[in-house]
Amino acid sequence: MKRLLAVALGILTAIGGFLDAGDLVTNAVVGSRFGMSLAWVVGAGVIGICVFAHMSGKVAAVSGRATFEIIRERLGPRAAGLNLAASLAVTVLTLVAEVGGIALALQLASSVDHRLWVPVAALAVWLVLWRVKFEIMENVTGLLGLALVGFAVAVFLLGPDWGELAAQLAPQVPVEEDAGTYWYYAIALFGAAMTPYEVFFFSSGGVEEGWTAKDLATSRLNVLVGFPLGGLLSVSIAACAALVLMPAGIQVDAMSQLTLPVAQAGGTLLVAVIIVGIVAATFGAALETALSTGYSLSQYLGWSWGKFRRPAQAARFHLAMILALVVAVAVLATNVDPIAVTEYSVVFSAVALPLTYLPILVVANDPEYMGDQVNGRAMNAVATVYLVIIVVAAVAAIPLMIATEAGG
Amino acid sequence: MIASDLLDARVLEADGQAVGWVVDLRLVLDGTTDGILARPRLHGLVVSPRTRTSFLGFERSDVRSPWPIAPLLRRWHRGTFLVHWPDVARVPEPDDADHPGPAVVVLRPGYLRYDATLHR
Repeated sequence: MKRLLAVALGILTAIGGFLDAGDLVTNAVVGSRFGMSLAWVVGAGVIGICVFAHMSGKVAAVSGRATFEIIRERLGPRAAGLNLAASLAVTVLTLVAEVGGIALALQLASSVDHRLWVPVAALAVWLVLWRVKFEIMENVTGLLGLALVGFAVAVFLLGPDWGELAAQLAPQVPVEEDAGTYWYYAIALFGAAMTPYEVFFFSSGGVEEGWTAKDLATSRLNVLVGFPLGGLLSVSIAACAALVLMPAGIQVDAMSQLTLPVAQAGGTLLVAVIIVGIVAATFGAALETALSTGYSLSQYLGWSWGKFRRPAQAARFHLAMILALVVAVAVLATNVDPIAVTEYSVVFSAVALPLTYLPILVVANDPEYMGDQVNGRAMNAVATVYLVIIVVAAVAAIPLMIATEAGG
Repeated sequence: MIASDLLDARVLEADGQAVGWVVDLRLVLDGTTDGILARPRLHGLVVSPRTRTSFLGFERSDVRSPWPIAPLLRRWHRGTFLVHWPDVARVPEPDDADHPGPAVVVLRPGYLRYDATLHR
C-alpha cells in the first residue's frame, strides 16, 4: 500500500493528461472512428511525457526549483510571458472542461441535470484546494481514479478477437476518413499526452512533497508507473469503442456514450465502477489544472506558492486558483459544451509546449544546477528527438485544425 | 530604473556604433542584509552581438550538451561579452531627443569587454 501511495503523484498527473474529461471523450471518438490505428500515437506520447516529466522531476528534486521558475529564469521575461499566456489558456480551458466533466459524470450517477452540478463541483474543488493536504488529495483522487481500470477489464470481458484487434494497431488511415483528419487526431492525442500543465503539476508536486536528490528513485517510479498506466487506460477506452461502437456505426459526441461498451461487457456493476472512476478522474484533473494555474502564475511572478504553506502565506497563489474556478463556472454558465472547449486548447498547447520543454532540457544538462545528475547521452538523444517531434507537432497543429475544422 | 528598462535594450558605443543587445543582467549579492538575503547590486550587462533572444544560461558555463542545441545557441550568440556597470555612460530616457525609439544603453569610450563565463 505504501508503495502504491508513493506513486499517487504520478498517477494523478497521468490522469490529468490521458484521462481528463476531454480525453475520455476524445479516446472514445478515436476508437469509434479510427479503431486502434492511432494507438501508436498514445505510445509515442507516453514515452514523450515520461522523458519530459522525468527531467522536470529530476530538476525539481535536485535543484528544488519547479518548472516555471526554470522557464522564467532561462527564457527571460518576454518569451516566458508568451509561454505563460499560452499555458494559462490551455490550463484554464482544461479546467473549464473538468468542472463541466465532473458535473456530467454526476449527472450520469444521479440523473440531475449537469448544469445544476456545476456550482457544486466548483465549490467542492475549491474546498479541497483550500483545506485538504497535498498528500491526502493526491492519494484519494489517484486511488479512486484507478477505478477506470474498469475499461481495461471491459475489453477482456468483451472477448475480442485479439488477432484482429492487434492487426488494427498498424498505423493506417481508415477508408472512410481522410488523411488530414487522421493526422489532426494524431496531434490531438499526442498533445493530450504531453500537456504543459502535467509537468508544472508534477514538478511542483515534487517540491510540495519535499523531494531532494535522495528521492530521485521515487520520481522515476512515479513517471514509470503513472504515465504508462494512463496510456494503457487511454488505449483501453479506444479499444472498447472500437469493439462496440465502431461496428454499430455509433458516432461518439457525449460522455454518456463511454458507458455503452462497459454496460455491454460488465453490466450495471462495472458501469458503477466506471462512473466512480470518471468522477475521480475529472475531479483529479480539475485539481491538477487549478493548481497548475496557481503554480505557473506564482512561479513566473515570484509569489510564494504551494499547498505546504497556509493559504494566508500564499494568498496570491490561492487567489489565482479561485479566479480560475470563477472563470470556469462563468464559462460553463453560458451553456457551452464542456467537452468542445478542450478542442481549442490544442492550439495554445502547440505554442506553450516547445517553450516549456526546451528550458527543462537545457537545465537538465547544467551541472551548476544538477551536479552529477546531469542527463546522460542516451537521455539527451531521446530528449532531442522528442524536441523535434514536439516542434513539428506544434507547427502542424494549427493548419490541420483549420483545414479539418477541428476534426469534423 | 527597473530591470526591464535594460533587458533587450540596444547597446551603443560612445560614437554611436551598435555592438549588440542586453540579453541578461549580472547581479551580485554583496549589499547590506535585507530580510534573509544581501541586497543585490548590478554588476554588469551581458551583451550579445547578433540577437536579443535568450542564451538560455549557456553564457555562464562551458556546457556543450545537449547536442545540437548547445552548439547552435553558442554559434548564434558568439562574441557575447560582459560589460561592467561602471562602463555604462548613460541610459537615455525613452523621450531622449538623441535616441528616439526603443531603449538604448550607451557605453563609455574605452570600455572593457569581459568574458561572460562565470568562473568558480
